[in-house]
Amino acid sequence: MRRPYLSSFIFLLIALLLSLAIGSIFIPPEELWRALIGVTDNETFRTIVWNIRLPRTVLIALVGAALAGSGAAYQGLFRNPLADPYLIGVASGAGLGAVLAMSVQWPYTTLGLLAVPLAAFIASLLTVYLVYIFANVGGTVPTTSLILAGVAFSSFATALTSFLMLRSTGELRRAIGWLLGGVSLIGWDVTLALVPYLLIGLTTLVLNGYALNLLQFGDDQALQMGLNVRRAKFIIIVAASLVTAAAVSFAGIIGFVGLIVPHVVRIWWGVDYRRIIPLSIVVGAGALLLADVLARVVLAPQELPLGIITALAGAPFFLWVLRRAKNQGIW
Amino acid sequence: MFRKNFLLTLLITLLLAGCVPDALSGAVPASAAITLTDGLGRSVILNEAAKRVVSLAPSNTEILFAIGAGDQVIGRDNFSDYPEAAKGVTDIGSAFEALNTELIVSLKPDLIIAAEVNTPEQVKALEDLGLTVYYLKNPTTLEELYVNIEIVAELTGEDPTKLTDSLKARVTAVDEKIMPLSSRISVFYELDGTDPAKPYTAGAGTFITLLIERAGGYNIASDIEGYPQLSLEQVVAADPAFIILGDSAYGVTPELVSARPGWENLSAVKSGQILPFDDNLVSRPGPRLVDGLEALAKLLRPELFE
Repeated sequence: MRRPYLSSFIFLLIALLLSLAIGSIFIPPEELWRALIGVTDNETFRTIVWNIRLPRTVLIALVGAALAGSGAAYQGLFRNPLADPYLIGVASGAGLGAVLAMSVQWPYTTLGLLAVPLAAFIASLLTVYLVYIFANVGGTVPTTSLILAGVAFSSFATALTSFLMLRSTGELRRAIGWLLGGVSLIGWDVTLALVPYLLIGLTTLVLNGYALNLLQFGDDQALQMGLNVRRAKFIIIVAASLVTAAAVSFAGIIGFVGLIVPHVVRIWWGVDYRRIIPLSIVVGAGALLLADVLARVVLAPQELPLGIITALAGAPFFLWVLRRAKNQGIW
Repeated sequence: MFRKNFLLTLLITLLLAGCVPDALSGAVPASAAITLTDGLGRSVILNEAAKRVVSLAPSNTEILFAIGAGDQVIGRDNFSDYPEAAKGVTDIGSAFEALNTELIVSLKPDLIIAAEVNTPEQVKALEDLGLTVYYLKNPTTLEELYVNIEIVAELTGEDPTKLTDSLKARVTAVDEKIMPLSSRISVFYELDGTDPAKPYTAGAGTFITLLIERAGGYNIASDIEGYPQLSLEQVVAADPAFIILGDSAYGVTPELVSARPGWENLSAVKSGQILPFDDNLVSRPGPRLVDGLEALAKLLRPELFE
């Protein structure tokens, strides 16, 4: 497929429009356009478009971009096609933090309402930090150790989370809903709170595309080619984890996007990470938007949790792409 | 290299200029007719009694219909199935999955009544859309229930006295017969027996326990908080005189319970005192709690209540 940037942006645009157009209240296209550009006098449509659909659309696009971008970075860093953004414990840490926060009754204040996402964020970063420390073998951080430490901490955190969920049966449904992924805290303040982390993190990852290319040859080779391997790894892990932690804290644990989108991008547009990362970001945003549209439409008026849709829809799609690229031997 | 540093510095500056969610404040109109503080400590102000009300919990729906505000209810959550008239009202989604905020906005309500089944995030989301939300905290005693009824009546401009007087009279009627008794009947109230070796029950601090005790019973799980899972051994050790099936709506029958391995030696099973029960009467914090009290009293002391 030629013209990767053009086609990705068109894909994103279509996904954005679909996400804005679909909802439980039918808004005819002309009304939608008028509400968007601010010339409508229909108060209901304006509230729905500007206060419900638009912040949700932007939030989901950002989360999709975050997950796919960091997934691509992890796949490059670990040189492992099975790597996804949750490999070194971000998701399980966030889940534990969120469920812990949910077992407390917070006061209805700005800070109290932010308790769950904040706890999730802090816990996930703490988990990654611990994993990093445990994997640090005298200065170097071998990727195998990272993966193993990540698996160990993830299992531990998941077990604790399950235990907590069983204990506080009152909050069980809320916890399950959060863990399956979805955007319950809609609104501009949530969406905008996410932007700084994603901006910094994703830009850092994009700028490290060349470093990731070098890392594909192995740590020693990359070192000999002039890359400060330890620093590059550290920066990439920090940026990718920051971005994933922020995304997961507000949207719960949405799987598959971070795993599949980078593969699709790689199959269609090659193995240069200077391209893969930005393209994953754009395609990831569009893909999650489409998944969200499906989540709203499939069992309307009920809404399926996003994590379920990404797995159900993502897996067959990925198998199809895989079959078509059988002979390319990308990784 | 310079370009990288410059871009990173620019981004960090943007981050510092980034925003934090804005404070929760609302404009207060000059002369407010109804001003109340809700269960979350929020100040709720209505210029006049609400005429278009959306209820986010079955208990709220039942209270609204019971005080005569049924025709003011324009939207209800999807579990609200009582009274019959509530089923005809627009369904706006489930508090447990996702509320259909677009539908709620398009109904243009002037008041939304939330309950403890709704999360603070849901309340905030609706508040951010410019809607007025009142969060009705669950009552822990029957007196608090009457207060909740009075709050809803004030919000909707109805008169609650007829309802509260009748509820109080019915409770007194039960109390008069139960108070003089010197013994209590031990009860096991089953909420979920999917795993017969570890059934779920209601413990201390729940309305179920409160009503069982008011009806002259003793809940064998009343020394554990919340909704614990008892082991069959604990049930056997306590050996309740009655087993009340709060999960009978899910198809659990006395025959099925008697057939459970290990349950056959319980006194309640041997004497056939396994009683199906409508759990909605004791789990929804609304006027039907009094129905639940009367039903429990009748089950436990049939000779006193015809």
